Amino acid sequence: MKTVINEQERRNFAREVESKLHDKLAKCYQCGKCSAGCPVNFEMDFTPNQIIKMTELGMTDRVLNSKTIWLCVSCNTCSTRCPKGFEVAGIMDVLREIAVNRGIESKTEKEVQTFHEVFLDNVKSNGRIFELELVGKYKLKTKHLFRDMFLAPKMIEKGKLKMHSDKVSDINQIAKIFKDFE
Amino acid sequence: MKLAYYPGCSLKGTSFEYEVSLLKILEALNIEIQEIPDWNCCGASAAHSLNHNLSVALPARNLAIAENNGFEEVLAPCAACSSRLKTAKYEMGLDDILKKKITDSLEMPYSNSLNISNMLEFLINVAGKEKIKSLVKKPLSGLKVASYYGCLLVRPPKVMKFDDPDRPVSMDELVALTGAVPVDYSYKTECCGAINSLSKPDVVMALTGKILYDIKEHGADLVVVACPLCHSNLDVRQREIERKYAERIGLPVLFITELLGLAFGFSPEELAIGGHMVNADKVLKKIS
Repeated sequence: MKTVINEQERRNFAREVESKLHDKLAKCYQCGKCSAGCPVNFEMDFTPNQIIKMTELGMTDRVLNSKTIWLCVSCNTCSTRCPKGFEVAGIMDVLREIAVNRGIESKTEKEVQTFHEVFLDNVKSNGRIFELELVGKYKLKTKHLFRDMFLAPKMIEKGKLKMHSDKVSDINQIAKIFKDFE
Repeated sequence: MKLAYYPGCSLKGTSFEYEVSLLKILEALNIEIQEIPDWNCCGASAAHSLNHNLSVALPARNLAIAENNGFEEVLAPCAACSSRLKTAKYEMGLDDILKKKITDSLEMPYSNSLNISNMLEFLINVAGKEKIKSLVKKPLSGLKVASYYGCLLVRPPKVMKFDDPDRPVSMDELVALTGAVPVDYSYKTECCGAINSLSKPDVVMALTGKILYDIKEHGADLVVVACPLCHSNLDVRQREIERKYAERIGLPVLFITELLGLAFGFSPEELAIGGHMVNADKVLKKIS
C-alpha cells in the first residue's frame, strides 16, 4: 500500500474530513494523550493519534480500511482529555461515514458495521427498536446464530425480551426523515 | 412546568426495571411527567457512526414534538438517549443550515430551546437533594455502593455540561442521601464497551470485567448505574465474565432509581429488582 500520496489527493481528503468535522487536523500536536486513555487501544491497528496524522498525510486507504475506526466506541474520553480540544471521537464518526459512502466494507470489523446497519434498518421500519428482531436479523447476517443464545431463556423468563414490536404511529414521517437524510 | 418524558427503546424492553422504578420514585416525589407523544428511537450509536445528519434528525423529531406540545424540560433517563438528544440540540445550535433542513423535513416549527436532563441531572436539579433526602424512610445503612457513571452522562463536557467529566460526584451524592456508603474506586468513568456488546463481546467482557473486578476489590456490596447499556453489560454479561476469568464477582447491579426507591420504602418487587440477571436478594437482606 503506498504511503506517499500526491498532494492534490492529500489535500482533498484532509479538506473533506475537516469540513465534515468542523475542526482542523493541524491542531493535533501528537502528544498521544487520546491514545493513552483509549479503552479499546489494545485492539486497534492504529492508535487514535496515528489516525489523525495519517488522515492529514492523505493515507486514505489505510485510514478508511483500519480496524480503529470501527473499534472506537465513542466513549469520548479522548476528546474530553485532548489538550487542544480536537474532536478525536468526532473524526472516527467522520471517517466511518466516508468509508460507508465510498462503499468500503471493513474486512476485519464487519460485524460492528453490520450491527449498526441492522440497527438503523430496524429504526427505519419500526421507528423504534424491536430488540428481538434486531438481534435475530443481526445473527442471520453474521451467521453467529448460537453466540449469546444461552442468555435468551433467562432474559425471557425475566421479562426482558418483548415478543411484539411497538411501532411509531406516524411511520411515514420516519420514512421521510430517512429519505431526506440517508 | 410541564415535564416531558423520553423513555427510549431500552426502557420499554430489556431495561423495563429502570422505567418501573423511575415511575415509582417520581410518584413519591410528586413529580408528574408525560411521555412525548409518538416518540421515535434516537438513532443511538448506529446513527452517529454511519450518518451524521440522520443522527441529528432522528432525535430532533422528538424534541420538536415535545416543543410543539408546550414542554420546556425533557427527562431522558437512558444515558445514551440523553446524550443523543443533547448532541442534536448542540449540533443544531452550531449549524443553522442543518437545523433548517431538519425543520423543513419535519414540517414543524422548532426553536431548539428545550432543556434536556439525564437521570442524575433531573434528580439533582429538578427534584432536588433536599426533597429526596426528606423522603428517605428506610436508610440503607451499612450498604456499600459503587456508582458507575460510564461515558455519556458526563462526556463530552461541552455538550453534557454536567458534573466533572473525570471525577464525577453526583451519583455518589445521591447514594449518600440514601444512608448507604459510597465506595471509591478507579474506573467510574471507564467505558463498558457499550453498543459493541453483540458485535465485539470479547472486547466488552474485557472492559466490563476490569470495572467489575475493581469494584469488587474495593469492597462494594452492589453497583448503581443510570444507563441501560451500562446495566446490560454489567448485569447481563456478568456470569459470562466470571466464567471467562474464572473468578466470582456476584455484584448486583441496580439502577439509581431502584436504590432511591428502596430508601423511600418501596419493596424490591415494586421496583422490579427481580428483573435483573444477578440476584440481589442476599445483598438486600443486609438492609431488611
